[in-house]
Amino acid sequence: MLLVDIVLPGLVLGGMYALIALGLTLQYGVARIMNLSYGESLVAAAFGAFSLYSGLGLSPLAALLLAVPVAMVVNWLLYRFLLERLMRRSKDRGAQEIDSILVTFGVLFVIQGAMLVAFGGQYYSYSYLSIPLTIMGSTLAVNRLVALLFAALVGGAVYLALTRTRIGTAVRAIAVDANAARLVGIDVAALSGLAFAFGGGLVAVGGVLVSMFLTFNAAMGVIFTMKALVVVIMGGVGNVMGALVAGLLLGVVETAVARLVDPGLTLAATYALFLGVLLIRPTGLFGRAAS
Amino acid sequence: MTGPKRALLWCAGLALAAATVTYPLYANGYYLALGISVLYFTILATAWAMFSGPTRYISLATVAFFGLGAYTAAVLGETMPWPVVLLAAAGVGAFTAAITGLSTLRLSGIYFVIFSFGLAELIRQLVIWYEVNIHKSVGRYLFSAVTQDILYWQLLGLTAIVFLVGWLLGRSRYGLALRAIGADETAASHSGIDATRVKLGVFILSATFMAVTGAVMAPRWTYIDPAIAFNPTISFQVVIMALLGGAGSLFGPVLGVIPLVLLFEVLSATLPNHFSIVLGLIFVLIVMVLPNGVIGLFGTGRWRVPTGGPVAARAGTSDAPLLAVEGVSKSFSGLRAVDDVSFKVAPGEIVGIIGPNGSGKTTLLNTLSGALKPSSGTIRFGGIVLNGLRAHQIARLGLARTFQLVRVMPDLTVAENVAAAQLFSTSNGSSATASELLDLVGLGTVHAAPAGDLTYIDQKRLELARALALQPRLVLLDEWLAGLNPSELETGIALIAKLRDRGFTIIMVEHVMDAIRALCGHCIVMNAGCVIARGGPDEVLSDPKVVAAYLGDDDA
Amino acid sequence: MFSANRRTLLRATGLVAAVLGALASTAEAQEKIRIGYAISKTGPYAGGAGITTLPNYELWVKDVNAAGGIKLGDKKLPIEVVEYDDRSSSEEAVKAIERLANQDKVDFILSPWGTGLNLAVGPTLNRLGYPHLAVTSVTDKAPELAKRWSNATFWLGTSAQISQALADLLGKLRSEGKIGANIAMVSIADQFGIELSAAGREAFKKHGFTLAYDKTYPMGTQDLQPLVKDAIASNPDAFVAFSYPPDTIALTEQAQLLKFNPKIFYVGVGTAFPLYKGKFAANSEGVMGIGGWNADSPRLKDYLARHKAATGKEPDRWASSITYASLQVLQQAIEKVGKLDRAAVAAEIRSGTFDTIIGKVKLKDGLLQEVWSVGQWQNGEFYALAPASLSGARTPVVPKAQWQ
Repeated sequence: MLLVDIVLPGLVLGGMYALIALGLTLQYGVARIMNLSYGESLVAAAFGAFSLYSGLGLSPLAALLLAVPVAMVVNWLLYRFLLERLMRRSKDRGAQEIDSILVTFGVLFVIQGAMLVAFGGQYYSYSYLSIPLTIMGSTLAVNRLVALLFAALVGGAVYLALTRTRIGTAVRAIAVDANAARLVGIDVAALSGLAFAFGGGLVAVGGVLVSMFLTFNAAMGVIFTMKALVVVIMGGVGNVMGALVAGLLLGVVETAVARLVDPGLTLAATYALFLGVLLIRPTGLFGRAAS
Repeated sequence: MTGPKRALLWCAGLALAAATVTYPLYANGYYLALGISVLYFTILATAWAMFSGPTRYISLATVAFFGLGAYTAAVLGETMPWPVVLLAAAGVGAFTAAITGLSTLRLSGIYFVIFSFGLAELIRQLVIWYEVNIHKSVGRYLFSAVTQDILYWQLLGLTAIVFLVGWLLGRSRYGLALRAIGADETAASHSGIDATRVKLGVFILSATFMAVTGAVMAPRWTYIDPAIAFNPTISFQVVIMALLGGAGSLFGPVLGVIPLVLLFEVLSATLPNHFSIVLGLIFVLIVMVLPNGVIGLFGTGRWRVPTGGPVAARAGTSDAPLLAVEGVSKSFSGLRAVDDVSFKVAPGEIVGIIGPNGSGKTTLLNTLSGALKPSSGTIRFGGIVLNGLRAHQIARLGLARTFQLVRVMPDLTVAENVAAAQLFSTSNGSSATASELLDLVGLGTVHAAPAGDLTYIDQKRLELARALALQPRLVLLDEWLAGLNPSELETGIALIAKLRDRGFTIIMVEHVMDAIRALCGHCIVMNAGCVIARGGPDEVLSDPKVVAAYLGDDDA
Repeated sequence: MFSANRRTLLRATGLVAAVLGALASTAEAQEKIRIGYAISKTGPYAGGAGITTLPNYELWVKDVNAAGGIKLGDKKLPIEVVEYDDRSSSEEAVKAIERLANQDKVDFILSPWGTGLNLAVGPTLNRLGYPHLAVTSVTDKAPELAKRWSNATFWLGTSAQISQALADLLGKLRSEGKIGANIAMVSIADQFGIELSAAGREAFKKHGFTLAYDKTYPMGTQDLQPLVKDAIASNPDAFVAFSYPPDTIALTEQAQLLKFNPKIFYVGVGTAFPLYKGKFAANSEGVMGIGGWNADSPRLKDYLARHKAATGKEPDRWASSITYASLQVLQQAIEKVGKLDRAAVAAEIRSGTFDTIIGKVKLKDGLLQEVWSVGQWQNGEFYALAPASLSGARTPVVPKAQWQ
């Protein structure tokens, strides 16, 4: 059935988009770091998974146990020793955004350079869980399904953590107004650092999982950065549910256009959808109204 | 500066200018190529900062216009004379910017950033689709005899034009208007600035330069395909260079372009394999030690402020009401914040609007000043129906306001804040200059300070001066006296009384009843969106309905 | 005015800084042959340059220097390398060429990777009079370009040649009754994919094939399953994809998942990469793609071993060996001319006959004519199948075995 055959693969593709965007919702939406090196971190995690798999035969799913804590520590250090100073230095959010764009642009080059030295510019790819699974007549790859599953689980868990726990509430307060949060006794620097580190952990999840089915090289980071930004912005900054919905929506639309209209127009269609959403809702699907 | 010294500087300047113009005659091919890189990024970064600097809309759409220009040159380059090609590229750039600008400029912050990126990608995808399906070939070949010398001079000419235009723009009222919009768009609109049109105009201007640059560069590469023409790293490089140099001033971007182009060059030569890492580290370091961009090292030059717009109360003398509000209502998805309100204000009168918090006072003011559109009812101001007019149009008619939560434009100086409101004044009457107004509100001594540095009360004064600079016939004061200590309150009341004596008509929303008693001849009391009483201050304040509204129904 | 002066001043000081930075070394009395290149180490082209071009430049320099250098008259001069990163940008590539020629004063310049960059630097190399070995540019304009730029040579054939050879091969298989008339074709929306698919469309029709499915997809598409599904629905005998490496991998993966087993499975750039064999292992068996080489040739076997030893990786089976061969041609041309006369060397490259790892090379009108267009993985090696007229062409294995 064509409908199922569009919706299911679309959701799977969208799950990947949502997955690579989750970390950015925390890093940008909460910690207020517009992280241009986001995609490079993702590719670095992919390289990590590749090395562990081809070198030690370690399954990418097991690699998560290693990659995520490492990424969290690295990102926390990055925040603590670099970004926090910038956040303290700038008075308003606009200046913080500009500073974070500039400094993460530098970080982008550092990560990319390190990957080039280690792996060169070639493409890398390996096969893991590349097994067909037929659901309601539509054949899907297990590795891509795993990514969708993780997107839903991790997204849901982060959403619950943000809305149901004390720390989560404090983190959301920072996202809304860092100064006001400070006034009510929230340790903004510590929690922002935590959110950034946690976002870094989610980037690692995304990188490790997409490495199972995408071909990547050291120069590809910017593609992921931009895709993640589009998803985050379309969903509404700082809104995890928004990112999930936006990612899934983009996936379904892309698949539908490929099957029903013309595969040549898929990317044009997704950008048109994105621009259209912003024109109707200038702060994204689930965004707060602009003040 | 002494005469000889100045002459020496001029001589040095002319010599350097001559050296720049004759550069291709003595530089070898490589230095010429380096010069070309510097020039083409200078044009792009300066054009970018022309719009994005003052407004702080970080645009990633640079390459969309650059690429369209390059494609225009590739399509027309071999059939049309070169000046026609450049004009066509300018036209394509301006046209695309006009269309996209209309839809995008209402977004703000990061939403605009990513939108502009999405826009560049969408244009690229559409160009690809067109080329694949209609032209049946994506790559375009452009064989031309353009040598590096000619390319350099073309770019140099374009650089001169972009600086000239930028300089003129900075001196014109549009330059200040643009900065006012960047500082606080709402305040700017209520100061009579047509934010949309100013932004759109400068956006188009900036895009035109980018498109022409693309057209000039295209023949150098022989082969143009979407990946080359719409290479997104160009957008990023331009943003980084402009921000690094300092996007807030005309010559800031070039100070970012030169060091970065050279840095890229030196690093890629000395460390081809570790280029990225070293570049990244140096970049991080630069950002950490240069918080205000390279231009910050030189101290930011203040922009020229157009001085003088005449200012006065244009008090009417007739007895016809200046403002007539008839049956105005405003609902927010079912909630009627203002419900069928009618009243009139005669020239020279001070009308007080009072009522408990949440009774719809500020919403009413917002419908008057154009911040909100009334759901129903009519507002006439000096005989003109205000319904449907936008904030800046209403401001230009002579209806000025202050805000409950004070809104000054923090990066502009005190004097510039006032000057911004005089930019698009349509009246010819004159009796007060900006400095007189600042004296009037007691800010005469701090006119050069950034407005953001003022104390709360001084910001309120400034807001009032800015409102008066519109030469208003009617001033709306929204809790202007709130938060003042007793002695400040006294000064404040005296100031409003002084305005009344000068013939200004005023509507004030206020909780300070002493002020209402002292100043207002007539009061309107609102509760839950409705007018529940009207009359003299003492009369309404003793009305049982008003007492009940303030103290709660149970006690009535 | 004042600020304009400051700008000029800054530029002048900047140039001084650049000179200081660039004070690497200037050629002294001819003790060495200086060879420079700018290659995409970063950016979107890094993937292609990193497998096909850069390793072969490095290998060749190593091989030549190990043998004592390039013979010039009666002495051998070792090669000294100057290398830059063009960051996948046309403008950077042009600037780097100017730099190599004017600052580093290199004796010869090796070409960048890819059609776009080779065409961007074409006019500059032509003006400066350097031989231009535009190996990795595949364009139908190649004959015209070779006429326009007498210093330039093209080595991978034109798009039309590649598609023609594929169509001829399929046509022959059809006349032998091995496959039917239905072809499903997908192509990437880039100049390469468009030229190949356009030429293919015509050539397939000439051979009486029906294009049951014919679509393009944009670069950067993350999920190609929809295309594969629609291709399956058209029930083709042959599946032809003019794709780039990431898509080549993704298309193969999707075909396996969907148990899509056409008699001919042909995918584009990347099929000839060792990555492909590494990833799909036994499943690569029978897959066809662009390129191919005569893997039984002892010279290529030797080249494969040296490549592996020097760079730690195997070369791709399409442009790598040709890149290396083009460098051998350059070396032999220099040695034949006997001095560093670039014009003479360029002319010699076009007119001479050379002995290389891919056999005897003789260009015609600046183009290498004998180029393998279709290859197939057979027993873990990517053998050349077409054009069948070339010596060493293997017999295709059809139908391809089912995916495992």
